[in-house]
Amino acid sequence: MSQRKSYAVGTGLFIVFGFAALAYLATQTTSIVNSHQGASYIIDAQFANVGQLKDRAPVKVAGVRVGQVQSITLEPGKDVADVKLSIDKKFNQIPTDSTAVIYTSGLLGDQYVGLQFGNAKNYVTDGSHLMLTRSTQPLEEMLGKFFGAGGVADAIGGSYKVTAHFTNVGALSVGAPVKMAGVAIGSVIDVKADPVKLDATVTIAIDNKYKQIPDDSAAAVFTSGLIGSQYVAIQPGGSPNSLKDGDQFVLTQSAMQLEDLIGKFLVNGSSSGNSNAGGNGSSNPPAGKH
Amino acid sequence: MSAQLQRGENVLIGSLAQIGRCGLFLLRILASIPRSLRHARETVRQLWFVGAMSLTIIMTCGLFVGMVLSLQLYHVLSIFGGTSATGSVVALSVYRELGPVVTALLFAGRAGTSITAEIGLMRATDQIAAMEMMAVDPIAYVAVPRFLAGLIAMPLLSCVFCGLSIFGGHLVAVDWLGVDNGTFWSNMTANVDVWDDVVNGVIWKSLVFGAVIALIAVFQGYTTPPTSEGVAYATTRTVVASSIAILALDFVLTAFLM
Repeated sequence: MSQRKSYAVGTGLFIVFGFAALAYLATQTTSIVNSHQGASYIIDAQFANVGQLKDRAPVKVAGVRVGQVQSITLEPGKDVADVKLSIDKKFNQIPTDSTAVIYTSGLLGDQYVGLQFGNAKNYVTDGSHLMLTRSTQPLEEMLGKFFGAGGVADAIGGSYKVTAHFTNVGALSVGAPVKMAGVAIGSVIDVKADPVKLDATVTIAIDNKYKQIPDDSAAAVFTSGLIGSQYVAIQPGGSPNSLKDGDQFVLTQSAMQLEDLIGKFLVNGSSSGNSNAGGNGSSNPPAGKH
Repeated sequence: MSAQLQRGENVLIGSLAQIGRCGLFLLRILASIPRSLRHARETVRQLWFVGAMSLTIIMTCGLFVGMVLSLQLYHVLSIFGGTSATGSVVALSVYRELGPVVTALLFAGRAGTSITAEIGLMRATDQIAAMEMMAVDPIAYVAVPRFLAGLIAMPLLSCVFCGLSIFGGHLVAVDWLGVDNGTFWSNMTANVDVWDDVVNGVIWKSLVFGAVIALIAVFQGYTTPPTSEGVAYATTRTVVASSIAILALDFVLTAFLM
C-alpha cells in the first residue's frame, strides 16, 4: 500500500511539474499580454494603403498599447482599406479628430497603428469613424525619394546620345538618372574607361523632349544626399546651338570623393587652427602646404 | 518477375492489414476506457513509469537542445547582425518543431519500448491468457492504462522539454555569448503567440504523438508472437514504426495547424 502511495505521490508531482512547465511557457515566454483582450469598443478608420499591417497588430497611443487591429477589409467598390480597431474600454478618452497613422517599429519591424490625439472635446465611442488617417509609405517610394533614383523617366519618346569625359565618375553606374534643374531628363547608358585618354567615358541618353540644351552646357557627377546614389547633373550654358546626337560635353566636373573632401577639410582646418594659434612668429606651418 | 510482384503485393497487403488491425485495436481500447476506470490506480502507476521516470532524459535532452540551438543560431544570426532575435528564434523553433518531435522520439525510445516489451512478455508467459481466465479484461487492465498514460504524459513531458530548452538557450545566449537579457526575453514574448505556438505547436502535436506512440507500443506488445524472438522484433518495430509515424504526422499536423 505504501508502495502504491509513493507511486501516486510521484505521479502527482510529475503532473504538477508538467503543468507548471506549461504555465511557465504560456505566461513567461509568449505574448499572452498582447493577445489578451478585455472589454473593448470598435472604431474604424480607412487607409489608402495598409502595407504589411496584420490582424491583431497593436494600436498605440504615444507608444503605449491601447488595443489591437480587429480586421482589415477592402471597402467595397473603392481602393481603400477599412481597418477596424478594437480599443480597450479603459482608454475611452480618444478625441474624435485624432489621426490614425500606420507606423513601422524599427526598420524591419512589424507595423502598428498609432493614434495621434486631436483637440476635440468629445471622444470616440463604439462604431465611431476616424476621419484623419495617414497610410504607410511603401519602402520603394521612400527609397526612391531618398536616393533620387525614383524619378528616372522612361524615354518613351525616343532619346539621343551624348558623351562626356570625366576624370573620376565615383560610384556612378549604368541606369543612374541625368538631371537638369533637379528634374530627370534621361539616364546613363554606359560607363567605361577610355584606353587612350585614361579617363572615364560616360554615355548618357537624353529624352527627345529636351532638344534645346545648349552645347556648352557642363556635366557634373553629383551625389543625392550624403549617402545617396550618384547622378549626372547638367548645368546649361549660354550657347545658341543645342546638343545633338553623338555630341560631347566639353565642360565636365568629376565626382567628389569623400576621402578628398575630408582630406581638404582636415588640412584646411588644421592650417587655420595653426595660423590662429601661431602668434609668435612660427612661420611656414607644415600643414599649410596644399 | 511475377514472384517479386507477388511478394510486393503481399507486403503491401500485409502492411495494410497491420494498419487495419491497429485501427481496430484503437477502437477496442477506446471502447474499454469506461471499463478501465475501476483500474485508475493502474493508470497512475503507468503514468509514473512512462512519465515521471522519463523526466530525467527529457530534461537533460531539452537542456542540451536549447543550448546547442542557441549557440548555432547566435552565430548564424550574427552574420546578419540579428543576434537580438536569438531568444525568439530559439523559442519558436523549440515550440513549433523540436520540442514535440524530439520529446516524442525520446518517449518512443524510453517508454514505448518498455511498454511493448512488458506486454510482449506478459503475452509470452501467458499472463494475458490467465487474466482472461480470471475474467479480468486484459484490454481494460493492461492496454488502456498504458495508452492513457502515454496520452497524458507526452504533453507534460513536451512542456518540460520546452521549458528546459528555453532555460538552456538563455544560459548560452545571455550568460555565455552576451546577448542582453531584456532583449532576449522581450523579443521572445513579442514573437511567440500563446495559441499559435504553445497550444497548437506544443500541446496538440504532443497529444497526437503521445496517442500514436502509446497505441503502436501497446498494439505491438499485445500482438507479438509469444516467443523471445517475437518480443525482440516487436520492440524494434515499435521504435521504427513510431519514429516514422511521428515524423510523417509532424508534417501533416504542421500543415494543418499553421
